[in-house]
This record gives sequence, structure tokens and C-alpha cells, in this order.
Amino acid sequence: MAEKESKGGAEVSQWVTFSLADETYGIDVMRVQEVLPMTEIAPVPGAPPYVLGIINLRGNVVTVIDTRMRFGLESRETDSASRIVVIETAQQVAGILVDSVAEVINVNPEEIDTAPNVGNEESSRYIYGVVSRGDELLILVEVNKLLTKEEWQEVASM
Amino acid sequence: MGIDTEDDIVQDFLVESREILEALGGQLVELEQRGDDRDLLNAVFRGFHTIKGGAGFLSLDALVSVCHRTEDLFNLLRNGERTVTPELMDHVLRALDVVNDQFDSLEAGREPPEAPPDLLAALEQLIESGQVQGEAPAAAEAAQANGDEITDDEFEQLLDALDETADGKKASAASANTVGDGEQSDGDEITEDEFESLLDQLHGKGQHSGKPDKPLADKQASPPSSSQADDDLISEDEFDQLLDQLHGEGKGPATRKPAADSKPAAAPRGEKPAPSAPAAKPTAAAGSANAEPEADKASPKGETSVRVDTAKLDDIMNLVGELVLVRNRLSTLRAQLDDERMGVAVGDLELVTSDLQAAVMQTRMQPIRKVFGRFPRLVRDLARSLGKDIELELRGEDTDLDKNLVEALADPLIHLVRNSCDHGVETPEERRAAGKPATGKLMLSAEQEGDHILLVIADDGKGMDPEMLRRKVIEKGIMDAESAARLDDKDCFNLIFQPGFSTKDQISDVSGRGVGMDVVKTRISQLNGTIDIDSTMGVGTTLRIKVPLTLAILPTLMVTLDGRKFAVPMSVVSEIFELDMEHTKVVDGRRVVMVRKKAMPLFFLDRWIQRIKGTLSEGAASGATPAEQQVVTVVLGNQPIGLVVDEVLGLEEVVIKPLGAMLQGLPGLAGSTITGDGRIALIIDIPSLVKSYGSTM
Repeated sequence: MAEKESKGGAEVSQWVTFSLADETYGIDVMRVQEVLPMTEIAPVPGAPPYVLGIINLRGNVVTVIDTRMRFGLESRETDSASRIVVIETAQQVAGILVDSVAEVINVNPEEIDTAPNVGNEESSRYIYGVVSRGDELLILVEVNKLLTKEEWQEVASM
Repeated sequence: MGIDTEDDIVQDFLVESREILEALGGQLVELEQRGDDRDLLNAVFRGFHTIKGGAGFLSLDALVSVCHRTEDLFNLLRNGERTVTPELMDHVLRALDVVNDQFDSLEAGREPPEAPPDLLAALEQLIESGQVQGEAPAAAEAAQANGDEITDDEFEQLLDALDETADGKKASAASANTVGDGEQSDGDEITEDEFESLLDQLHGKGQHSGKPDKPLADKQASPPSSSQADDDLISEDEFDQLLDQLHGEGKGPATRKPAADSKPAAAPRGEKPAPSAPAAKPTAAAGSANAEPEADKASPKGETSVRVDTAKLDDIMNLVGELVLVRNRLSTLRAQLDDERMGVAVGDLELVTSDLQAAVMQTRMQPIRKVFGRFPRLVRDLARSLGKDIELELRGEDTDLDKNLVEALADPLIHLVRNSCDHGVETPEERRAAGKPATGKLMLSAEQEGDHILLVIADDGKGMDPEMLRRKVIEKGIMDAESAARLDDKDCFNLIFQPGFSTKDQISDVSGRGVGMDVVKTRISQLNGTIDIDSTMGVGTTLRIKVPLTLAILPTLMVTLDGRKFAVPMSVVSEIFELDMEHTKVVDGRRVVMVRKKAMPLFFLDRWIQRIKGTLSEGAASGATPAEQQVVTVVLGNQPIGLVVDEVLGLEEVVIKPLGAMLQGLPGLAGSTITGDGRIALIIDIPSLVKSYGSTM
């Protein structure tokens, strides 16, 4: 919804930015339920490799995925800056582990360029658009695609 | 007309009608045995009548046309103008199926399809021939009420109001006048029933218009008193008029019983308001009255109960589940804090939580009758199509269990009953040849045993032949001859739960596609239940299913593995002991432990856990076994297996938290839960774990 508005009208959209391996990404703020500090993730035997495990979010079990693996990046140890961003779509709630979360920024629709064919294939699948501000490049992530069922099933069947 | 299934009235109609239809299914089958049972005939008549009434109000013509004809037919039946024959029952049962289908469409928000014309024609044919047969072309409603002409005329008008398609009845009502006093006594009896059913409707109306008590009191006071009818009806002008008329003119014939009096009096209030107000709204009270042959048995339940959406109950149950988890955490804290006052408070909380849990569970309980109710019909149809004589006995229909379980058990039970009818019970010829009574017996029972329910399906059929099963399993390539020979008889019976195992050489449309029993087994396991089979050649087969009372809270055995907690459903745990590596042997690549002189295979769960870490090195996993480990014996099918764990912590009641969409259906896991210390424990699903990882553990 928010995406449509940002494309069609003059609506300014808000994005939560996070970093992964020196790149800055943005997630539609409407999709973000909350940002958690790193907590104990219980691994799940037999789970797809990109699933880190599950966490206890106030009595609810939430699956956490390894965003680095999802984007085809090297995995690394978590540190004090690591965060779990809990995102929700119509189908489900899931957490994505990111290196750090920075801020919420406003983006004007005209700033958004369609995604150039950058990066590797894994990551470009989930990219909705890019915003360049000076030297900085912000990659907007399509949460729906990141969490769509087809994607999961596809990966789950691997 | 589009059907708004969200509409309260439509909803009530659907729910109520479904209940009536369920009851009808059973009643109709009973009727085949006792075709002359008046109460039963009346109950069926009332059932169709009530549905017709509601459908008419909602302008569901397709439904009305079937119900109306069926109702007419039963009218003849209950007046003894026709007798119940198997052919007639076939048509009636088909009519019931059609109505059920129509309700399926309705619930899906579609216009119900028209009934097949041939069915309607057949029903009409039956009605017509019945009228000729009976030689008294009395649309019984008229005949019952009559006794004097004035009442009859009066009644005819009522009938018009009651039934748009009353043309035929007008004629018959008129001719009923000539039948005269001969039918009087008979008429009286029926009038009471009629009166009851009208009261039922009135009752519904009364509730709706917000004066629930009077009609009820009225109802309990039993029909034969015309004054009672006065009491609660004074408000209605038209009724007053009618009453005046009736009393003024109807006093003459001294033979008339008060009941007959109150009947036409009741009619206008029951029926007339219906078109004006949404009074056709069926109520729980009306439903229960219809479900029971004796309407006056219907207690004032409707007044003290509330219909609650099951989703709300589920929510409450979830919340109670959360509460249980918090309680568990507090209990853990209490042990650490060692504060007396705190301890007392937590103790109280524990008590209250347990009570609350039990109370909420009670609200979700439903009698297993819900499932059992459909079996008389199912067995009857199967027996007929298979050319067998099968008598079904139901026991413990009032056993209560969790609503979700009732629903979840329906399919597996249907499958098992079908199987028993198809494979178990023999044809009458075979039975006679074997020196058994020609009629086979199928017994279905339910009872509560502690915290679980025991369901038994027993037939007195030919039983299962272990030798034949052994042969089959080899033929199908599921097992080699050697291992098949080692199976004892009980193991052989359990073979039928193997996927792809069907012993019937010829595939029938009833069962025997070989997709059934393993699915049944899986379903039962998903409910944390067990299924057990026993059979004696020539004597019969008995299936025992055990399921927990509820699905919401699961008693588990907490164990640790590699520092993490895992929960094993208690239902499968049979024994716990220390692992002594000295008493283990390696047989066929698998380490086994000797328990009471029997070898039991061991499964080292830590090897499964290794997969989590990604440090999958076979050597390290098998070599470095900690000195002190414990074995949890679980029963898988009939085979006990030992799960080797680091430590057994104890029993904990947990609330199952489903794993998210992307982790659904992982082998070995039944879900997760949050333990007393706020951490996550995975719930192990033993059957799928052993199936998927057994060879690597």
C-alpha cells in the first residue's frame, strides 16, 4: 500500500534503515513491528539454512531469518549492534537479523529509482528500488517479496 | 436472492438446521428398525417442518420444496396412512442428503441448488399413493385438529397462513370434515405433538421478542390447558379475536379436549407473527425440542445457555495457555527466591490457574455424539451397498471431549468404521457358513480414562490373518521375508498402518485404495493419540484409539540435549532409565540396550542436534558420548525405542506454539513452547523424527 502511494502520489514514505555488510537498506516502516536487541535464538533442527531459529517474543514464537544468507552475503558473528527487526506481512510475522539499525528516514517518491541490476541475484530479487543521496545509496527492500510464501516454499524445497 | 451468511438470522438458521439435520440422520436410520414408532415419526416430521419454516422465511425455495414434500410424507406416515418401507426410506434419506447438500451451498454463500426433479416426483408419488392407501385424504394437520366444523374452518385459514402451497390441503381439509369424529381420539394425540411443535416455534419467537419466560413456563405446564394459552397471549389482538371465536363457537361439542382447543389457539401466534417479524429464528430450545422425540422433555436449557463463537473460545483457551506459562515461570522463580509469602501467593495462583484451565476446557467440551451421530446412517448405507447385515451399537455417546478433537476425530473414525464394514464384517452367507448369526455387529464406544479418551471400534467379523499380512508385506516390498517372519501377530496387524499397504485385492469404492490406514494413523498421532489393533481370526477385530482430552495443553517430559530443552509428549513415554553403555550391544549397525531380556533400539538425539550446529562429523558424534545419559523409552507403534538424552528434567504442561509458516512441517518437530524460564523448547514429534533421521542417530 505504502509503496503504491509513494510511486503514484506525492506521499512521502518512511523507511527504517539498517545495515548489512557496509550497505544500507530500507524497510517500509509500516511493515516493521518492532526492533529487538539481539536475544537468544533457539536453533531448529532440520530448518532451511537461512532460518537461524526461533525466539520468544513475549509469549509468541517468531522465526528469525539470516538476512545475510538471504542476500547472498557472508555470515558473521553477531555483536552488540546486531538487531532483530520484526516485520509483518499479511501472512506472517518474522524477524530478520541485521548488523545494525540506524534511523527512520523520509523518502520522496521522485527520489526512488528502479533497482539497477546491481549486486548478486539473491539480493536483487528483494529490491524494490534505490535512493541515492550524495555518496550514500539506500536500497529499499520489498518486504512482501522477502517473506512471500512462494519464496519460502522454493527455498524450503531445496 | 443472495444469501448473507453473516446475517445473524441466517447464521442461527444454519446452525440450528445443521443440528436438526444431524439428529435426523440418526432418527431416520432408527426409523428403519422401528417404522411404527410414533414419537420417532413425529420427531422427524417436526425436524423437516422446522427447517421448512426457516427456509420459507428466508425464501429459500429450493429447500422448501424438498422439506415440504418430505414433511407431507411424514405426516402420512405418522398418521398411519402409509407404512415405512425400505424404498420409501431410500427416497427420504436421499432427500436428507439433498437438503444437506443445499446447506453446504448455503454455508458457502451460494444459492442452494434445486433438488433433483426425480426425487421430488418420487416423494410426491409416495405422498399420493399414501393418500389413496389411507383412503382418508386428510392433510392430517386438518384432521387432527378437527372435531367440529367451526374449528376446521378456522383451522383452514390458519393453514393458509402457514403454508403458501396449501391448495391441496384446502381440498383435503374440506374432505376431512366428512371423516368426522371417528378420528377424534387419534387427532387429539397428534394435536398435542402439533401443539408442542408450535410451542417450539412460539418459544423461538418469544425469545426473539424478548419475553422468554412465559412461553417456557407455558410449555412445561404441558398442553392440556387452554387457560395457559390465554396467559401469555393476551397481548395479541388477533389471538384474542380467535380465542373469542373459538370459545364462543367451539364450546358446543363436549367431546373436545382442551388440548384441541389450545392448538388452533396456538397456531396463530406461532405462525402469524412469523412473516412480520423475523420470528422464524430458530433457537436452541426449539432445536433441542426437535432433537428429542419427546418435546416435553426439553428442559429450559435455551434460557440458561449462550451461543459463543468457537473462535472466542479458542482465544480464551490461548489466553489460559499464556497464563499457564506465566504460572510456570513464577513457579520457577519461587524455587529460586525462597520467599514464604511469595510461595503462598504462587501456590494460590497455581490452584486458581488449574481450576480456570479445567473450567475453560469444560466450555469447549462436546459430546462425542457429534461424531457418532453420523455412523448409524453411514453403516446402514454401507451395509446396503455391500449386501451385508450390520448392526451398529453405540456406547458412551455422552463422553465429552475437546471440540477440536471431536472435529479432528471425525475423518479417521469414519475411515475405520468403513474399513470394519468393508473388510471386517462378512456377508450373511459367509457368516452363516462360519456358524455366526447372519447379522454382523459393529460396536463403537467412547469412555474417559483419566486424562484421555478411549475409543473402541470392535467388529465380530472375520478378523485379520497375520500370515496373509506377512505375505502381503513381502509382496509389496515393504519388508523382506526374513524380517516379516520375525514379526509377531500383533506386529502384523500393525502392518496395515504402513503407507501403501492395502490387503483387499479388489479395490472397492468403500475402502481399499491403500491410502487410508496410514493416514488414519498419522492423524491420530498428530492429535497426540495412539492407535492399537487386535484381532482374532474368525472372531473379530478391535481397534483402540487413545487421544488426550484436549489439544490445547500438552503434558510433556522435559529433557535437555546439548544444554537446550526439548519436550517429548508424555503420551508416548513409557519408561525412563539411566543408560549403561556396558549393557548395550551393536546389532545391525544400531546400538541396542537390553531391557528385560529384550533388545530395544537406541536413538541418540544429540546426533540429530548436531545438525543444528552444522558441525556434522560422524566420528565426533558417535565417539564422544558423555558418561551419564538417560534413556527415555517411548512406544512407537508397538515397538519400544529408547531415546538417549543428556538429562531428564521432569513433567511440564506446555502450550503448543506452532512454528511459523516457513518452519511448518519440519520432520521431527511438533511445534515449540515457552518454558518456565522464558526460553524456548522444541516439542519433538517422535514418529517423524525416527522416520526422517532414524538412520543417522
